[in-house]
Amino acid sequence: MFELHSTEDVLRLSALSSAVIAIAILVYYLAVRPPLGRATKVVLLFGLGVMPLAVSLAGNISGFEYTLRRDFCGSCHVMRPYVEDASDPASKSLASIHSRNAAFGPESCYTCHADYQIFGAMTTKANGLKHLYYYITEYANTGPYGEGGKPIHMYKEFQNGMCVRCHSTEAPRWAAVEDHAGMIEDIRKGDAKCIDCHTGEKIHPRAFAHGGNGKAPAPAGEQKE
Amino acid sequence: MFNVTKITIRRLVLISTIATLGSLFLMVASILFPGPLLLVVAMSMGQVLGVSSLVLYLLAIALDLQGYGEHDELGQAGSAGSGTGGE
Repeated sequence: MFELHSTEDVLRLSALSSAVIAIAILVYYLAVRPPLGRATKVVLLFGLGVMPLAVSLAGNISGFEYTLRRDFCGSCHVMRPYVEDASDPASKSLASIHSRNAAFGPESCYTCHADYQIFGAMTTKANGLKHLYYYITEYANTGPYGEGGKPIHMYKEFQNGMCVRCHSTEAPRWAAVEDHAGMIEDIRKGDAKCIDCHTGEKIHPRAFAHGGNGKAPAPAGEQKE
Repeated sequence: MFNVTKITIRRLVLISTIATLGSLFLMVASILFPGPLLLVVAMSMGQVLGVSSLVLYLLAIALDLQGYGEHDELGQAGSAGSGTGGE
């Protein structure tokens, strides 16, 4: 459970170690109830202040890091059509192809969907709280793939900026594509949207919002489910 | 306005200790089982609880250092018996 593979694992371990120390101090105080002398006050300051602050700091950072991962997005069942497809090595969807790229990897949802601004991480996480609210109030009792819920949509239109971070529009091979060449300036200005052509059903084909039924196409579905 | 005794100070520390244990429980649970709801609860309620309990503890210590309750009956009994531990 606690194999240390990343900074996140180290942070989780240090948070848990600090929590164990704090809990030991506090339980000892509750059990023994020593006089509130100077030594007790100092020890309690560690148990009530220093150690919980360390737990909070390390826990927050590791928690935030975890919220960037595709596993976290998939922990709400309505995201299964998206996450299962993105994780499917046989899928040809754009989400899956990008997820197989090491630059996206296990954080592919966040990499494409996080706001690309100076406070992008904050606004994205604030929207995450909205997701949680809607999940509890509207989607909690939907089917295993979110069947029966309202189609999921983005809060604002997907911006070209998310695509041109990597697809710079400068590469000769990209510019040689006839459709790209015909509207290259419009794409750069954002007047033509990447998703006008690379539409939702090509990105997340299993999503209800894009005409999918949540599950994998029949042959792959038989192998998976 | 308030009649602060040694017992009051001990109670503040007791409440602070229990509240901190509650906040630690939430934070540890969110680390071990990082689901969306638990993470949000730990990062909001857990930390509000933790900070409030620390403030309560610091208040208790400040009152103690200012000598509140030094002269009340129980305080004297506590001081004579087991330092300030007379609850």
